[in-house]
Amino acid sequence: MTQNILLVARREFRQVLALKSFWLTLLILPAALALGPVLGRYLGDADAVHAVVVDRSGTGVGKALEARFAEEDDRDVLQALSRYVQRHELERADPAAPWAQHDRWYTPADIAAFRQGGGLDGARTKIARVRQGDTPEFDAPAPEYIFDAPPPALASASGKAFGDIAQALFRSKDETRPEIVVLIGKDYPGDPRIALYSANQPRGRFVATMQDVLTGDLRTRLLAREGVVGEAARSVQSATPLIAVTTPAPGGGAKESMQVRSIVPLVLAYILMMSLIVSASWMLQGAVEERSNKLLESLLACIRPEELMYGKLLGALAVGLLMIGVWVGCALVATFFTQGAIADMIRPALAPVSSPGAVMTIIYFFLTGYIAISILFVAIGAMVDSMSEAQGYMMPVLFAILLPITFLLQAVLVGKEGFLVNALTWFPLWTPFAVLARLGLGLTTWEVLGTAVLMAVTIAVEFMLVGRLFRASLLATGQKPGLKIILERLRPSAEKL
Amino acid sequence: MAVLEIESLTKTFDKVTAVDGLDLAVGEGEIFGFLGGNGAGKTTTLRMVLDIIRPTRGRIAVFGGAPDRRRAERIGFLPEERGLYARMNAIDTIVYFGRLKGMTHGDAHRRGMELLERFDLAERAGSAIGDMSKGMAQKVQLATALVNQPELLMLDEPFSGLDPVNQGLLEAEIRHASQRGAAVIFSTHVMQHAERLCDRLLLLRKGRKRFEGTLKQAREELPAQLEAVAQADLATLRGVASATRGEPCGAGWHEWRLELAQGVDPGTLLEHCTANGIALRRWDEHRASLHDVFVHLVGNEEVRP
Repeated sequence: MTQNILLVARREFRQVLALKSFWLTLLILPAALALGPVLGRYLGDADAVHAVVVDRSGTGVGKALEARFAEEDDRDVLQALSRYVQRHELERADPAAPWAQHDRWYTPADIAAFRQGGGLDGARTKIARVRQGDTPEFDAPAPEYIFDAPPPALASASGKAFGDIAQALFRSKDETRPEIVVLIGKDYPGDPRIALYSANQPRGRFVATMQDVLTGDLRTRLLAREGVVGEAARSVQSATPLIAVTTPAPGGGAKESMQVRSIVPLVLAYILMMSLIVSASWMLQGAVEERSNKLLESLLACIRPEELMYGKLLGALAVGLLMIGVWVGCALVATFFTQGAIADMIRPALAPVSSPGAVMTIIYFFLTGYIAISILFVAIGAMVDSMSEAQGYMMPVLFAILLPITFLLQAVLVGKEGFLVNALTWFPLWTPFAVLARLGLGLTTWEVLGTAVLMAVTIAVEFMLVGRLFRASLLATGQKPGLKIILERLRPSAEKL
Repeated sequence: MAVLEIESLTKTFDKVTAVDGLDLAVGEGEIFGFLGGNGAGKTTTLRMVLDIIRPTRGRIAVFGGAPDRRRAERIGFLPEERGLYARMNAIDTIVYFGRLKGMTHGDAHRRGMELLERFDLAERAGSAIGDMSKGMAQKVQLATALVNQPELLMLDEPFSGLDPVNQGLLEAEIRHASQRGAAVIFSTHVMQHAERLCDRLLLLRKGRKRFEGTLKQAREELPAQLEAVAQADLATLRGVASATRGEPCGAGWHEWRLELAQGVDPGTLLEHCTANGIALRRWDEHRASLHDVFVHLVGNEEVRP
C-alpha cells in the first residue's frame, strides 16, 4: 500500500514541479526579498538633496542655516549609531560618548561632544577596537541636504530673473543640480520675507528647520533691540525643556514587544494561508485530472481509491512544504545576512518561538492545517468532472476559510484576543491559523494540547468521510454533486458502491 | 485451470439490477468474448472482477482467490473510457502503470521499450501523450495494459474508437497473449471481432446470460439454412423443417430453399441425399453468423454490425 501511495505522490509532485506556474510562485518571495532592497534604494529618496542659499543680508543667517542642517545630519548619525551600539552591546568602546547614552534626545551639546570626539570617524575607530568579527560595520545614514555655493548667474540675479534662473537650474541635467534655492534678501531682518524655490514639494522637515533657525535669529535681534544681549539673550533663546526620552530597546516595550513576538507566528499563519491559496488550484488539478482524462478505471484496476487519495494528498503536501521551505529559508537568509529595520525586528522576534515546544507546535499546526484543508480540495476534485467545475466549488470554500482568517490576523496584530479569536481557535477549519497567530501572544498549555487533539480528531474524521466521498464519487461521472448526493455518498454504505 | 470463475454474480444499483445471477469460467490461454448491447452489464462485471466495485451477491474467484489489488500484477486491463496523463511522456506513463502493478522500475522500463518498439513508437518514447496523435496514444494505453505480461487480460470494448491499423494490432496482441497462456476476456458489441478471435462467447442481455459456448455452438442456436437445386422433392427429407420450391431451372430441376430442424447438420443431410441417389446440381449452406445469433438471442436493437 505504501509503495503505491508513494508512487502516486511522486507523480503528483513531479507533475506540479513541471508547471511553470509553480516555479513562478515559488520564486516570487525570494525575488521580492532580493529585489526589495534594490528597489527600495531606487524608490526611496535616499540621495542627498542639493540646496543653495543666497544670503544678501550680510547678517550671516545663511551660514547659520547651513550649520543647523549639518547639526541635524549629525543628530541623525548619532541616533543611528546609538541604536547600532545598543543592538550590538558596544557601549564599552567609550561609555562616556553620546552614542553610548541611549535614552536621550541629543542636544546641541551632545552633538558638539560627538564632533569633539572625532565625529563619525572617531566613533568608528573606537568601536572597531571592541567589535566582534561577526558584528556588521555601522552603516551611517547619508546626509539629507548638501549645501552648494550659489552659481555666479544666480548670485548676481535679482527680481524675476532670479526665479527664472532657479527654475532653469532645476531643469538642468547635472546630477548635482540644486533642488532648493533659498533667497535671503538684502533688507533682512527689516524685511523678514524669505524666498524658497523648490523643484519639488519641499519636505516639511526642511521648512520647519529653516523656520526654526530664522525665528531664532529674528528673536535674538528683537531681544537685542530691547537691550537683552549676550548671555541673557542666549539664555532666553535656549530656554527649552530637556526632554529625556526613554525608548524601549529593539523588541522591548509592551505593545512593541507583543507585536515583535507575534511577527513570526503571524507570518507563519500568513504563509500557511498563502500557500493554501496558491496550491489549491494545483491540488484540484491533480484531483480532477484522472476524471477529466478518463484514466480512473485504469488506475483503480491497479490501486485502491484510498491509495490514490492518500498519494494525492501526500504529493500536495510535499509541494506545499517545498514551497514553504523555500520561502522560509529565503526569509531566514534575508534576515541573518542583511541589516536594517526588518532584520532588527525579526531577530528578536525569533527568540520567543525558538524553544523546542514552540517549534514543535508550529510544525504540528502547520502540517495539520495544510492536511485538513488539502483534504477538502481533494474531495472537491473527486466530485467534479472538470477544472472549471472544480473552481466553481473552490471559490466559496476558499472564501469561507480565508475571510475569518483575515479578521483573525488583524485582531492578533493589534493585540486583541476577544471572543472571535478564541472562538476561531476551537473551530477546526481555523484552528491552525488561530494557534499559529496567537503563539506570540501566549497560549496556555491546555489550549495547545486541546487544539492539537482537536486537529488530530478532525483529520481522522475527514479522512473517513472524504474517503467514502472519494470512493463513491470516483466512477460517478456526469452527475452534479448537490448536497443530497454528497450526503448520500458520505454514508458508510456508499463505500461499497 | 480456471483463471476466472464467477458464480451467481449479481449487482444492483438502487432498484436497477445490472448483473443478474451470472456464472462463467475462463481458463488459461482462452479468448473469451463478453457480448452484449449497451447496458447489458459487461462493464459492471469487469469492474467487479477488478474489485473497483463490489458485488451485491455471488462469488468471484480470480486465480483462485477473491478479487484483490494484490493480484493487479497478474492482470492487464484496458477500460472502455480511455485516457492518459497528457503531460506525461509515453515511457514514463508505461513505467508508472508497471510500477503500480508491482514491477521494478528497470523491468517496467525495459518491457515498456519493448512494447513501444513493437508498436513502432520507440522514437516517441520521450514525447508527451498530449503531443501524440490519438492512434499513438491508444497504442500507449494498450502498452500500459500489457506491460506486466498479464496472465489475465481484460479489455472493455477494446476496438471502439480504434482505426483499422490499430484494430489489427490489437487483434495480434490478443492472439499473442493467448498463445503465451494468458486468459483474455474482452467485451464488445461488434460481432466481427468476436467471430474472428473468440474461443468461447457469453451473450448478456440486461444483466442475464443468454448463451455461453463456442462459436460453433452459438451458430447451432439458429437452424441451418441451405439452397439446393434438385429434381426430387426435398421437402420430404427427414430433418427439413420447412422447404420452399423456387423457379424451375432446366428439365425437372428446381431451386429449393430449406430450413433444417434445430440441431440437424447440413452435412449429414447431404450424405443422406448422396446415399439415396437424390441428384443435386447445387448445395449451398448458409451458416448463421454471430450477428444472426445475437439478433436471435438478444434482440435487434442492441446489436451493431
